This record gives sequence, structure tokens and C-alpha cells, in this order.
Amino acid sequence: MRIQKKVTGLLALLIFFFSFVGSLVPSANAAEAKKTYTIGTDTTFAPFEFQDVNGDFVGIDIDLIQAIAEDQGFKVKIQSLGFNAAVQALQSGNVDGVIAGMSITDERKQTFDFSDPYFEAGPIMGVAANNDTIKSYEDLRGKRVAVKVGTEGATFAESIKDQYGFTLATFDDSSQMVDEVKAGGSVACFEDYPVLAYGIQQGNGLKIVTDKEKGGSYGFAVNKGQNQELLQMFNEGLANLKSSGEYDKIVANYLGEGDAAEGGEIGAGTTPKMSPLDLVWTSMPAFLKGMGYTLYYTIISLFFAFILGLIFGSMKVSHNKFLRGVGTVFVDLFRGIPLLILAFFVYFAIPQAFGFTMEVWAAAIIALSLNAGAYVTEIIRGGIQSIDKGQMEAARSLGVPYRTAMRKIILPQAIKVMVPSFINQMVITLKDTSIMSVIGLVELTQSGKLVIARTYDTFTVYLTLAIMYLIVITILTKIADRLERRVSRG
Amino acid sequence: MDKIKVTGLKKSFGSNEVLKGIDMEVREGEVVCVIGPSGSGKSTFLRCLNLLEEINGGRVIVDDYDLSDKNSDINKIRENIGMVFQHFNLFPHMSVLQNIMFAPTELKKQTKEEARKQALSLLERVGLADKANAYPASLSGGQKQRVAIARALAMNPDVMLFDEPTSALDPEMVGEVLGVMQDLAREGMTMVIVTHEMGFAREVGHRVIFMDGGYIVEEGTPEEVFGNPQHERTISFLEKVL
Repeated sequence: MRIQKKVTGLLALLIFFFSFVGSLVPSANAAEAKKTYTIGTDTTFAPFEFQDVNGDFVGIDIDLIQAIAEDQGFKVKIQSLGFNAAVQALQSGNVDGVIAGMSITDERKQTFDFSDPYFEAGPIMGVAANNDTIKSYEDLRGKRVAVKVGTEGATFAESIKDQYGFTLATFDDSSQMVDEVKAGGSVACFEDYPVLAYGIQQGNGLKIVTDKEKGGSYGFAVNKGQNQELLQMFNEGLANLKSSGEYDKIVANYLGEGDAAEGGEIGAGTTPKMSPLDLVWTSMPAFLKGMGYTLYYTIISLFFAFILGLIFGSMKVSHNKFLRGVGTVFVDLFRGIPLLILAFFVYFAIPQAFGFTMEVWAAAIIALSLNAGAYVTEIIRGGIQSIDKGQMEAARSLGVPYRTAMRKIILPQAIKVMVPSFINQMVITLKDTSIMSVIGLVELTQSGKLVIARTYDTFTVYLTLAIMYLIVITILTKIADRLERRVSRG
Repeated sequence: MDKIKVTGLKKSFGSNEVLKGIDMEVREGEVVCVIGPSGSGKSTFLRCLNLLEEINGGRVIVDDYDLSDKNSDINKIRENIGMVFQHFNLFPHMSVLQNIMFAPTELKKQTKEEARKQALSLLERVGLADKANAYPASLSGGQKQRVAIARALAMNPDVMLFDEPTSALDPEMVGEVLGVMQDLAREGMTMVIVTHEMGFAREVGHRVIFMDGGYIVEEGTPEEVFGNPQHERTISFLEKVL
């Protein structure tokens, strides 16, 4: 009786929390007179897009698209997804356009329609600041070179790697690539010039030893044949900004005065390098917010996982062969698919295949719930089956129906067995939310990646994140331990 | 009048046929003791009488309800058949009183107050009035089994089934449980008891059934079965246990 009351109370608390924090989740604004376009962008491509100290998204791309929107009278909703995720989101129709320092290539023109070029870039090689052996491409022979997937630098490196005899390591974001070079895994990297130059200015620990290659140009992309009016507005807006001088102002703001857009000297209009303590201090509001989201997604996902677990768990202990089969398939399926693949599948593949769009947070919650749901199913099945068969028989022999016996006799005993495993699952799911940063979910890990994209201080940021996860998980397990002791005392 | 009537009862676990055709009946107020070597099918037979084991063939009629009929409401029938298990199977998360009150209140046979009053008087009857608020974990084996009997009696059954009720008990506790069962028999309860307590079967049983290999090999009054066994297998079994 007491346990049941407690469970009901806990449930009520969950639902309350759910509805309360629900207001934090970004939701589409109510329809307004101006049309709103959702624009996907990269998370970590300074100076084109990155989060500033205040946690606001800034960068040449961001300022440009907003200035153009202003000029042309439409609204934009920026979704910072990461380059790959943004491109896939565009294909699946989850976003209307992508502005992410995206080079215009013939290959991409097959799938996308590009605007007029808005920035002339070109790849350049970067090496670690303390590396004196690599002075030209010739020195790369037999070595490993890092590139970021989908960049012009990657294309260029690919085109010369046989000629100079080096191998490639491909990364998903700039900071990982830079860390690879600093850590010595690769001796050099190829990156678009403005990005690398900006990074060096920020003290990312690399230097430039060669000249910039002649390169292509960046364009704004929409899906081929779709959103043509957006593309046209972009082109018109860009022309207006260029003639009004606004364009030069935006670029100079990030790259300094001069022929920045053509790859000239990087100016000093950037923030000075911060000490690690300052960095942690200034980033803490963003981290705490990220942690809030991490906890929020954990709780919501566990809530749904618990419901799934109850449904499929009771199927797995049922006497009906068909129901048992359904339960088994559910567990095998979602326990067998890696969470990362599941997230990609839910967010990119399914919407694309069936022609609808899905919010990142919804996809993340679905993926986490299904994954955790499979494990919770097994926890519940194991808990129920750990109870002596004689308990059910005794209840049934008194004339008590199966469901009542399950609810009043078996489950109250089984819950005590399940609690430690539930706590374990809670910790696992909390940590698994970090995987959702690959689809651009804003949570603690993603908040950290955004700060790294700006500052390149991997060590400080990941150390801070690790400690934060550790503290929160320790606190939660201590609370759960106390709860467990109370439950087992009955 | 027959309380229980069994004809041609068969039961298999997979390809292993445990009951190969059982015919028997129990009259109202009769105490039937079932004896036999382990593996003879006597526990399975008992469990078929309240359908804890599914019946594969034949008919079992208890109180005019046909258990072998798929349409009969098994929960309703079970309310009238109490069962006591070898391992007591008390609900460990409930106090002694709650164990006894659970079924009558859950099945809306009695209000909480009525159930409490009845539970207390049943505890009095099995000599455990002072243990009402104790939890099963704090009781001895003999006490647990007496609570289990009280729990089964709380539904006011017409028939009581006992599945080796003293086999899991320390020897010094067997007596207190048998004492309670003897009182029940004296009050006229219809009982089927699977037991290894030959002394008890001889003293309390109206009839003794000897089972072996899935058949009833021999049955009769205790005097007949114990004093003058007819069948060879009965003789060799009794030689070993007496």
C-alpha cells in the first residue's frame, strides 16, 4: 500500500516536472505575418558560426543571413546542427536552407541549388605551432593528415594525397581535427583559410607554413527545386548588402579590416585568449543550462522508457506466445541497434523516407526512450521472474485473478529487486544523452562542443564537463540509494 | 454426497505423462490422505484439483463445478478450495493479519472490519493471536504454516488441499501444524492431504490412497492400507517408510 502511494506520488511529480520544464523546450513561434524559414548551420565553424561568450550564435554566416532576412523581410530560425547533420536535415526537409560555410561544388549541385557565392575561400595547411619538420607538402610523405568531412580542405587533401603520399584521417568538426594535430595523431590538417586563420588568432596552437590554395566559394543552399523564393531573396539581399557596404562590415567584424574576404590578413578584432579559470567561469551559465537540458531529457526519456518497459515487460512474462514474441522482438530490436544509429535513423532516415519533419528534441527523446525502454523491459521481466512462483500460486489458489495478483503480490516484491537496476539505467541514460549531440541536441556535451569551437580549449572544457557529469551522477545515485533503502524497508 | 469427483484424469509435462488416468471421489467431510514415493504424481494430482496444473484429459468436478470445462470461472471455483503449500508461500511484504485479510477484502467477500475480525479469530484458532502484526520473516516454519492455513480458511472454503504441509518443517514443529489440521478434520472439513506423515494418515485419515507411477495403486481405510496392504508396491513402499 505504502509503496503504491509513493509510486503514484513520484509519477505525479514527474508529470509536474514534465509540464513545467516543457516550457523550456524551444517550440515554433506562433504564425506571424512574416514568413519564418528554418536555417540549418554548423556548430563549430568559426568565424562563420559559433557561440560567443554569452552563448549567442554569431559568425559571418549568422550575421549575413540575419541581415539578408532583415533586408528582404522574412524571419529565420537558426538551427545549429553540425555540418553533416545540417546537410542531411536539409535533404530530409527538416530545415529550409543551410548556411554553413558550404563550398559550392559540382557534386553538391546535383542535390542542392546554391545562391550566388557569398565568400571566396580556399584551403590551407595548418601544422602544430611547435612542429618544425613540416614546411611544405613534400614533408607529408608517409604521414597522416587530418581533414574535416565535407570541407574544401578535405577535397584538396584528397586530390594531392597520392602525389605527396600521405593518408587522411577524417573528423566531424574543426576542433576535433585541430586536437588531432596538436596531439600528434596527424602532422597537419587542411582547412578553409578563414577558419584556420581565425582559429590561430584564437590561440588554437597551430600555425600556417604554406600559401593559401586557390579555392572555390561558399554558397547558401536549398534543396534542388525547392524554396526557390528563399534562394532569390538571399541573392537579392546579398547584392543589396554588398552595395550598401553592410557586407564588408560583417566580414571585417570577424576577420578584421582589409581584403579579408579574399583571404587577406586576419585582423585583431577577436577576443583575447582566456585563462582556463576564466573560461570555465564565463562558460558556466551555458554549461548549467546544458546540464538542465541533460537532466530534463533524461527524466522525460526514462518516463517513456518506464511506460514502454511496463507494456513490453508484462508481455514478456505473459502466458500468451504471441505477446511474448512481440516483447522479445521489441527488446532485441532496440537493444541491438546502437543508440547512435537509432538517433540518426529517427532524426534523418524516417522523416526523409516518409516526407515529414521532426524536431531535434523529439527525435532525441524517441531514440533515448526506445533504447532505455528495451533495457527497462528486461529489468521488469527479470524482476518479476525473480519472485518465487509459489507467490503467484498462493494468490491464485485463493481465487485472486492474475492481474490483481500481479499488481498486489508480485510487483510490490519485484520492485525491490528492480530498483538497483533502475538506478543503473538512470545513470546510463543520463550519460547517453551526450550521444544526442551528434544530431545537434543542445545538452551538456553539446554546450561544451560549442565552447570548444570558439576557444579550442579542449582540455579545460572536457575536464569541466566530466566533473559536472560526475557530480550530478554521484548526487543522483546517493538520492536513489536513500530511496532504495526506504523501498526495501517496505 | 461427493465433494470431489475425478474420472480418467491425465496430465503430461511435455512428453512425460505424470498422471495416467486417475479415478477417485471424496465425500463431504471426508479426510483423504495421499501417500506414495516421490515422483509418483501425487502433488501434481493435488494441484489438478484446483487447476494450478492444467488438465490434459478426463474430468474433475469439485462442488458440482466442472474444472475441465474451459468456460467455468476458475477464480470463483478456487475461492471455495483452500490450498496449503509445502513452502507456505506467505506474502513476505504483508503482515500476518494482511496475509489473511488480503483475499477476502480484495475479492469483496468482506469489508475490512469483518475481514479483520475473522482474521483475528482464525489466528486465535491456530494459536497465533499474538502474531497478528508480525511479518512472515520473523516467524518459525511451524508458525508460518499455521498462518498459511488460516489464510486459506479466510475464504471459508468447502474443501482444503494440503501439499506436503510438514515436509519443509523442523521435526519439533511438525506437531503444531498437524494439531491444527486434526482440529479441522474434527470439525468436518473435507480435506485432501498429500503427506509423508504415516502416523498422521493412519490416525486422522478416513481413507488412504497409495499412488505410484501416475496411477492409484491401492486405496482403502488406514487399517486396510497400513494393516493389510494388498499390492506388492504398497508393501515395499510401506516397508521403507514405516
